[in-house]
Amino acid sequence: MSAVSIRIDGVSKQFAHRVKGEVYAVRDVSLTVQPAEFVTLLGPSGCGKTTTLRMIAGFEQPNSGRIFIGGQDVTGLMANQRNIGFVFQNYALFPHLSVFENVAYGLRVQRQSDAAILRAVGEVLAMVGLQGYEQQFPNQLSGGEQQRVALARAIVIRPRVLLFDEPLSNLDAKLRVHMRGELRELQKRLDITAVYVTHDQEEAMAISDRIAVMHQGAIVQEGTAEDLYRRPASEFVAQFIGRTNLLSARVLAAGAAGVEIELASQRIRVPDETARVAAGETVRVVVRPEVINVYAAESGSGVPGTIVSRTFLGEKAEYQVQVGAEILQVTSYDPVRRGTFAPGQQVRLSFPAEGIQLLRGEAQCRRP
Amino acid sequence: MAGIAGTWMERWRRTLRDPALFATVLVLWVFLVLFILFPLARLLGRTFLDGGQFTLANMAAILQDSNHRQAFWNSLLLAALVGLCGTVLGFLYAFTAVRANLPRGWIMILDACSILPLVSPPFTTAIAMIFSFGPRGLITYHLFGIKGFTVYGLHSTLFSETLTYFPIAYLTLKPILAAIDPNVEDMAFSLGSPRWRVFRTVTLPLTIPGLANAFLLLFAASLADFATPLILAGNSFPVLPTQAYLQITGLFDLKGGAVLSFVLLVPALVVYLLQRYWVGRRYYVTITGKVGAQTTIKSLAPWARAPLLGLCLLIAAAILYFYVLLFYASVVVALGANHAWTWHHYEVIFTEGLKAIRDTLIIAGLGMPLGGLYGILLGYLVGKKHFPGRQTMEVVSMINYSLPGTIVGIAYLIAFNDPPLILTGTALVIVACYVFRYSPTGIRATVALLQQIDPSIEEASESLGASSGTTFRRITLPLIVPAFFAGLGVVFIRSMTAISATIFLVSINWTLITVRILENMTELSLGPAAAFSILVVVIVFAMIALISSLLRRFRAAGVVEVTSILGG
Repeated sequence: MSAVSIRIDGVSKQFAHRVKGEVYAVRDVSLTVQPAEFVTLLGPSGCGKTTTLRMIAGFEQPNSGRIFIGGQDVTGLMANQRNIGFVFQNYALFPHLSVFENVAYGLRVQRQSDAAILRAVGEVLAMVGLQGYEQQFPNQLSGGEQQRVALARAIVIRPRVLLFDEPLSNLDAKLRVHMRGELRELQKRLDITAVYVTHDQEEAMAISDRIAVMHQGAIVQEGTAEDLYRRPASEFVAQFIGRTNLLSARVLAAGAAGVEIELASQRIRVPDETARVAAGETVRVVVRPEVINVYAAESGSGVPGTIVSRTFLGEKAEYQVQVGAEILQVTSYDPVRRGTFAPGQQVRLSFPAEGIQLLRGEAQCRRP
Repeated sequence: MAGIAGTWMERWRRTLRDPALFATVLVLWVFLVLFILFPLARLLGRTFLDGGQFTLANMAAILQDSNHRQAFWNSLLLAALVGLCGTVLGFLYAFTAVRANLPRGWIMILDACSILPLVSPPFTTAIAMIFSFGPRGLITYHLFGIKGFTVYGLHSTLFSETLTYFPIAYLTLKPILAAIDPNVEDMAFSLGSPRWRVFRTVTLPLTIPGLANAFLLLFAASLADFATPLILAGNSFPVLPTQAYLQITGLFDLKGGAVLSFVLLVPALVVYLLQRYWVGRRYYVTITGKVGAQTTIKSLAPWARAPLLGLCLLIAAAILYFYVLLFYASVVVALGANHAWTWHHYEVIFTEGLKAIRDTLIIAGLGMPLGGLYGILLGYLVGKKHFPGRQTMEVVSMINYSLPGTIVGIAYLIAFNDPPLILTGTALVIVACYVFRYSPTGIRATVALLQQIDPSIEEASESLGASSGTTFRRITLPLIVPAFFAGLGVVFIRSMTAISATIFLVSINWTLITVRILENMTELSLGPAAAFSILVVVIVFAMIALISSLLRRFRAAGVVEVTSILGG
């Protein structure tokens, strides 16, 4: 079976809230997932990402809008008619069934023959590395093993799409990193369309083909991990993805050659042709901590500043640097060879033009 | 307001769309009205109505009798004392069990002895008291040669009820004490507190809601207890349940019985409300988030362990002594007079008493599946479905369970004695009484199990293509089956041991073992009474063994534990 696409078209979902009355959990969300693509819905808790996923699965019905899987309108269909594989945050294993019966459940519902079930379950358990666990019960397994059973149970029915609701959040940090690699590999091997929900931006960046960042019930930006990091469309995205310095700058000149701004008394020409700004305006700019160069004060050029604090992390050192009234985050790599600066020390900072991103104002969210 | 009305209408519409749900709810309501609300309404009618007019004359007439007023105060005094002594004993027991670093074996002995009184017929300690301290008592007369010691009165009723009911306090307090993370105590130690101070300022305050709860539970149990005072209280210490019973069986005054049971209802209701709405909200549920590091419990100084354990073992020994004595009394000709070995008493109960045994087993056997089914059905609806009147249904289903048995029995007697529904004298009325009085354990177990089933488990089944029917049959039902067994087990056990309600409902056609025990006691044929009691204890223990093995089988398959098949 070849992979299918998922299309969400203007979907909204309201819930009755005890105090606030009707509130939107999801508001007019549209998203297209290409066949065999791995798309992550990323956002803080309460942003509507899980509700969106549950509407794709059919656990929730949208109040308006339509959902298509493989071109078929599934909006009115129940979850049990959609042929999906869903992996829950808490795994939702059936506590009274053995590992084998947990995985076999979907096949038994389809009334497959015992021989077919035996073969299919064996194959899938081998795929997730759980041979020999058939007769164990969920409460006898570790968190990672339970996770694999949940995964095996979801893929054994050969679903059209795989949906993940924060599946790794209950695992410890090391296992989480390992499992996300396995998940991604499995999805590629099965050649299946996947939608993944997480609030962990690093996880999203590591696992996805494309990320849709959600905020307050809406998708605020879509793109690859690199797109989102290099060209955040809003302050929210800039701050949610990676660490950032959000600064104000004055536009000195704007034209085809880019925008010239004054940032912390430095004149910088930013090569951004699309920015619709005029001279004299104040704009918000995103400067990532690792973009800023930090030198000893004696080196002469650059913006003067004072080191407030230093955190040594091995491959990098993180500083807080006081510049005028503001405190900037600055990351300096390879501190072992390059040396570090002590708190209180005078330094100079420089801002390379290619690492600076102008924000286009909150209203202009990019839509495909 | 529009929003609320909207959701209410929505619920109605949804209920009507699901005909199976609608029909089940309707049928359950018919039963609830018939066997819980209707009898209670008739009882209140008898108390406050005269020829259709509201009147306090009945009340006044009963309360003018100083004997009845005395019974009211006696009931409260006894209940308060039992509550106090039982809570202290239960705390001592629980503290020793979970805070003294005892080897598992000791704790199992304590557990076993404390469960005995809970599952025995209500007379066992009372009978054993008579054997030990009565006019020809083994201890008073034979051992110490005391003549003229009166066993009847407050002192022995209090002693007997405390010994019978303190396990309730033990079972209430044990999990609470066990849940106090020893790390919290370690913290107090690290701040320089000596042991006694830690106990006084940390351990005890954390247990106070539990202590209050245990006190109220014991208070209610003693207030409702009918069998013990009937045998031990004597004429000088009348209490309400026995007064109501004597008013009806002795004076054939149904109205007076109704009024007296209403008088009993008032403190029972106050205690119930206190327990549910005041104490219930004062538990310190999440003291710590994560499980703390393993640590040795240091609550108790090493020198204090032995005396505490000794005290607990003394109580356990007293309980065991009572049971051994009961057995001994059942196999000798006449305890205290002729200690020759005989099976005669067992011959008597299996010939003359055979009808009572057969009737009791039939009634328990009928009530068991009905009670189990009713419990799981009502529990499932209340715990999982949304329909108008859901909460009301839950509250109503608990009424007969929370009321003293005397009230329920008299209410049934009044309600089903006259048309339109004459059930008095049938087995049905006794079965109904047990089912609606003792199924709430099954209901609560079902609701508790359902709460532990995360909605995502059912969604997982749905996402794998299962219909809602398949999901219920293959996922939900197996997960709540333990509640079914727990529920029917309690109905069976109580059908074997209870008397306070059903003593008003037995007849020539249908009688019960417990009632025969009482009759034997009043005829002073103590041997058969002891033999009957032993028989009941054996049957009940066989049943408990069967049910726990069933429950263990389900637990082995990873199903959460139904905490207790006891609990009232």
